[in-house]
Amino acid sequence: MESKRLKTIPEKVVIPLKQHNGVACKPLVKKGDQVLIGQKIGESVSYYSSDVHSSVCGEVTGIEEAPNPNGNKVLSVVIKTTESEETVAFVPKKHPSQKELITIMQDAGIVEHYGAPTHTVLKPEGKKIDLVLINATASEWIGGKYATPKEYASQMMDALKLLMKASGAVKGAIIVRKDDEDSIEAFEGVKVDGKALRVAPLLGTRRLGHYFKDQGSNVVVASQERVLGRNILNFFTYNVTGRKVALGCNPTDVGVAVCGVKSAKALYDAVHEGKPYYETVISMEGAVNCPELMLVRIGTPFKDIVRECTFNGEIGKIIANGVITGIAQYTDEVPVTKGTTRITLLTKEQVLRDESLDCTHCARCVDACPVSLLPTRLHVLAEQGRFDECRKMHIQFCIECGRCSFACPSKIHILQLIRYAKNAIEQAYEDDTPKESPNLKLGCCGGE
Amino acid sequence: MDYTISAPPHIKSKFSFRSINRAKILALIPVSLASVYFFGIPALEIILVAVLAAVATEYGIQRIFKKKVTIMDGHAALIGLMFALLTPPEAPIWIPIFGAFFAITIGKHAFGGIGSYVFNPVLVSWVFVRSAWGGFMTPMSIPNLGQLSDLVLENGAGLLVDVSPILLLGGVYLIYKKYIEWRVPLVFALTVFFFNQTVAFFSAVMSLIQEGVLNPLMYLATMFIFLEVTDELSYVMVGIVFFGILFLATDTPTSPVTKNGRLIYGFACGLLVSIYGYFGNYVDGTLYGIFLANAIAAYIETKTLPAMFGHESLLESSYRRIMKRIPSSLKFEVISDE
Repeated sequence: MESKRLKTIPEKVVIPLKQHNGVACKPLVKKGDQVLIGQKIGESVSYYSSDVHSSVCGEVTGIEEAPNPNGNKVLSVVIKTTESEETVAFVPKKHPSQKELITIMQDAGIVEHYGAPTHTVLKPEGKKIDLVLINATASEWIGGKYATPKEYASQMMDALKLLMKASGAVKGAIIVRKDDEDSIEAFEGVKVDGKALRVAPLLGTRRLGHYFKDQGSNVVVASQERVLGRNILNFFTYNVTGRKVALGCNPTDVGVAVCGVKSAKALYDAVHEGKPYYETVISMEGAVNCPELMLVRIGTPFKDIVRECTFNGEIGKIIANGVITGIAQYTDEVPVTKGTTRITLLTKEQVLRDESLDCTHCARCVDACPVSLLPTRLHVLAEQGRFDECRKMHIQFCIECGRCSFACPSKIHILQLIRYAKNAIEQAYEDDTPKESPNLKLGCCGGE
Repeated sequence: MDYTISAPPHIKSKFSFRSINRAKILALIPVSLASVYFFGIPALEIILVAVLAAVATEYGIQRIFKKKVTIMDGHAALIGLMFALLTPPEAPIWIPIFGAFFAITIGKHAFGGIGSYVFNPVLVSWVFVRSAWGGFMTPMSIPNLGQLSDLVLENGAGLLVDVSPILLLGGVYLIYKKYIEWRVPLVFALTVFFFNQTVAFFSAVMSLIQEGVLNPLMYLATMFIFLEVTDELSYVMVGIVFFGILFLATDTPTSPVTKNGRLIYGFACGLLVSIYGYFGNYVDGTLYGIFLANAIAAYIETKTLPAMFGHESLLESSYRRIMKRIPSSLKFEVISDE
């Protein structure tokens, strides 16, 4: 299953200068400049930033505030394309050192789909990484760029080794989804240091540590259930490694770097082909007749992608990323960015118009919650503005996966209310330090 | 082109309050038809009148207090139907009317409507009517499982709901289809079942002790009582108990929301019903038992709030404490090389 490219090059691409959390890039081009594919158009100004490259050939028609899939307007470079596939010379780098790898990553603009630039995940300032995870649970096995599953598996292994080298970690793991049989089959029997690997299921207390010992290897492949959501990293880290990440911290605080399949692939390409990150694979979902996976240039407006599809009915909603946590767009001018994994289209009929009723305490949300919160109580407290009580009920642990809102038969906007309360709490307790408890050590150092 | 914007999630599950109520009503229709077949026109009158009265009362209240009229969600109809099924067929026609009226006004709306009431409105009304007009509300006979055909059509049925235990098993299908949650009914049913068997077992053991039997095999043989249908159990296998387990105890606003809380609530229901039923009769026992269990539901909920995510449970921490005490020479453990 190879991904399809768009039939035509879009007339105009919009490349945001900030496609990551952190500092926006400084534009390197000005209006009227000619750019080539892969040319650097935005340079990072600090460590917490990542370069931006042009994905087309053409002329810069402006550097302006343009709509972004996250809902805001972001300074972007608008390029009018010309029919040309001319690229800048790509220089692959053979056997890079650790330092070089980090620079390659920043130069190639490799960014995690959740926003952090990959080099800051692997080499965070003042922290030491000892374990690198590739989260392959949410992306389909091929990621759109491979001809066979085996190729995918061996490239991922190479990418993992590169990531481990860049971070200086000795251990690494690839986490695939339990029900994703293609991936599991692909990884089954991949040779690492002359040893064949077996895909290990993460069950109960058997977490990664167990399998590192069991398989006598520093690299393992494990499978677990799918986890969806926005703030899943801490939850994911706990599930996989058993390391608890304190509130307000991220996995790097406990020495874990979580990378996505896309950034791993981008790093592989950057090292072996010298290609910067200017193309990404997205999937289409909803009432459309589309190739499942599409290889698109970063900056392609959604409307050019939607035009390639045959859509039954009238489009009611365009959603960047999935239906559970994605952001509905007010315009189809928004471009694909490094954080876009999926475009979902809903028809006018599919757009929900439910009215919230009173909570009937049916406890479906309680059963659905992966972090054992009580959304029944939280949403009422949030609605009444009783944020302190929300905090006492550990609202900060919410990973915003949206399952409670999905399950609610009264159609209450639980996720929205919880986010509202979390926001309010964050603003009120900006300088608040978490309290020490038996399993939570202070100073973000984590622990088991 | 205009696009809709809204907060995620953009799709929601197909369950709605309305569909859940409809499913429950549909699951109760077979037993209603059976009661009409068994008792004739009076049963039909009672069911129709109670449902109409409940819906009319809800409509009236919501109009008077200028609230949104919610009769279409089926909750009022469900309450009316459930009350009708708890009425004996000989009752005068104003009993179901008043019962449905009382259930909606006092049971449901006086406490604040859907999701806010403390006691199941059906039970509130039933307890009131039963105490006020005991003569009309006392069933003519108490059902008892004599032969297996009683499971299909109970000849000793006193209330409408008693006519056919097997037709109430539509509730089990609702559990399978996830319209009803499984924890409360499962634990409730197990408790009621094992309470009677355990009592029978202990009384057999006690009688052996009194006879002065010393052979341990005789004592072991009493374990077989768990496999027999004892006399007490035959009083349990009646429609009203099934109805209580599947429809009354699973009323969501009156049961706790926490996972452990629901298990405990199911056990509390089972225990109270068994005590009432064992020493009295299971018709009143089921209804009073669940009514009392409703009273402690909120307490159970506040006592079983889940701990912080990733927090050690009591079992884990005690295990860890014990393992700490054991000297390391006795432990078989792979010592980590880090």
